[in-house]
Amino acid sequence: MHFQKDSMTPAERMEALFTYRKPDRVPVGAMSTGFNTKNAGHTVADAYEDPDKSFADMQWTTEQYGWDPIPQYAGHTVLGAWDFGGEVRMPAGEFEGALVVTRYPVNTEDDVAKLHLPDPKTAGRIPQAMRFSELQADAGLPVYFFSRSPFTMAANIAGIDRFLRWTMKKPELCERLLKLSLEHIINVLTYWVDTFGAERVFAWMSSPSESNQLVSPRTVKQFAIPYHEAYHQRLKALGVSRFGLHVCGEQNLNLPLLAEASPWPHPSVLSFGHEVDIETAAAHFPKDIIYGNIEPAAIQMGTPDQVYDLCRTAIEKGKKAKGGFILGPGCGLPVAAPPVNVYAMTKAAHDFS
Amino acid sequence: MAVEKAPLLKQIHDAVVAFDEEKAAELCRKALADGVDPYDAIMKGLAAGMDTVGDLYEKKEYFVPELLLCSDAMYAGLDVLRPHVKVGEHQSAGKIVMGVVEGDIHDIGKTLVKTMFEAAGWEIYDLGKDVKLGRFVEEVQRTGADVVALSALMTTSMMAMPKVIEMLKTEKPEVVVLVGGAPLNEEIAQKYGADGYAKDAISAVHEAERLYKKVA
Repeated sequence: MHFQKDSMTPAERMEALFTYRKPDRVPVGAMSTGFNTKNAGHTVADAYEDPDKSFADMQWTTEQYGWDPIPQYAGHTVLGAWDFGGEVRMPAGEFEGALVVTRYPVNTEDDVAKLHLPDPKTAGRIPQAMRFSELQADAGLPVYFFSRSPFTMAANIAGIDRFLRWTMKKPELCERLLKLSLEHIINVLTYWVDTFGAERVFAWMSSPSESNQLVSPRTVKQFAIPYHEAYHQRLKALGVSRFGLHVCGEQNLNLPLLAEASPWPHPSVLSFGHEVDIETAAAHFPKDIIYGNIEPAAIQMGTPDQVYDLCRTAIEKGKKAKGGFILGPGCGLPVAAPPVNVYAMTKAAHDFS
Repeated sequence: MAVEKAPLLKQIHDAVVAFDEEKAAELCRKALADGVDPYDAIMKGLAAGMDTVGDLYEKKEYFVPELLLCSDAMYAGLDVLRPHVKVGEHQSAGKIVMGVVEGDIHDIGKTLVKTMFEAAGWEIYDLGKDVKLGRFVEEVQRTGADVVALSALMTTSMMAMPKVIEMLKTEKPEVVVLVGGAPLNEEIAQKYGADGYAKDAISAVHEAERLYKKVA
């Protein structure tokens, strides 16, 4: 590719954003777990099971597409169903791109009382995530820590349809699951901070179950926001200052609540899907870095020109964001995204900066 | 009887809208005891309740938790009434096969779609989730279904849809295929060869009825 030479390194570019300075160009990146390993000729399952392969594939893919360390993302550190004693299986076959829960830890109301906090060092795929973070640290990269929000994790422990019913009929069960989820996230985060130091850790969170495609802002206010606030009190106490939140899916009705609470350090990276307009996001969160919001299905199904045009629109809007802007997919980069479409995003970041 | 049953049907409707499972079942038992035609109780009580629930969802007063609980109330009433409906006396609105495609286990959307089709009087063959491609074809062959509804939530699993659609259209060219799920839209549905797209459970029934009438 023939781009104008960057005047900042990727690390300098990200540091500029985090200190409210203008970077040399629009940063670009992607949440790209399975895409990285498939890109390198490995399997999607390798992204979850083999941290060495996953890290190497991510590094090659990052260099190939000129991505910036947003941070880099390759799978969750903390998982609800798996960590709390459920069963999962690795993605397999042509049409699977993520872990599949085969048995939830909670199937009845009585199961909730039987739950106990998992071991923060050995549960689920924490050992693989720790190895991945060690590789990041050795490479001089931010060490990322990725959890779902307490609300999303609690829903993952009980199964989303059971949990949503309980928000209306058994809120006390939801509260217990939320408390356990928060404690487990913080226990594992503490392990990361003890291992790498707070200044190296970049905490990242996603909140798909808080989408308004599922729940009302009333539910988010009652069950999710208090736990976002509690999480950030604990994050601050641990000394972690770098944070990102993937506001997954249609969450327009939640934006005023999130903006009012805004419990995270500023600036934080706030990632949005195509469902939330960049300008709307920037207006609600003027002190934070807006990341997104190219529709993943468009990256997968569209032509490079279509992706390039979507990026141009996003960049034109994002450049006006007071807190800063990063170009990227609006959710996970599809495993089957055509390479030229992924390149189109990088080209747009250079051409329209 | 026509004057007496209206208030009871309204109460059944209200129990569904209020997601009161016990009340819905109790009122349906009362309807039977009072000699109300069970089919009337289903369509003008339970199904009418779900119509109102659908309206509340579209107005963003109800969300998925309410839909799930209202659906539970509807099924509680259906469990009471359905055994008493005379087989063959009422024609179903149509036969539909539905499922979440291979590679995908997210079925909450499909579950809600099923509820709305049930309320609308369709005969439903639910294949569940992570359904292998060929199963859809087998089930259409087995049941003679006229409509197939495919659901996918992920960009990986949606890639199964064009393959299923091709297999279905090869087997039964006149079958109507409807798709839905978060990564889908009208344009993608057309590219995949689907006949229609529905953005949510409420519109799925309307879209199926529209498409089915075209070919029937």
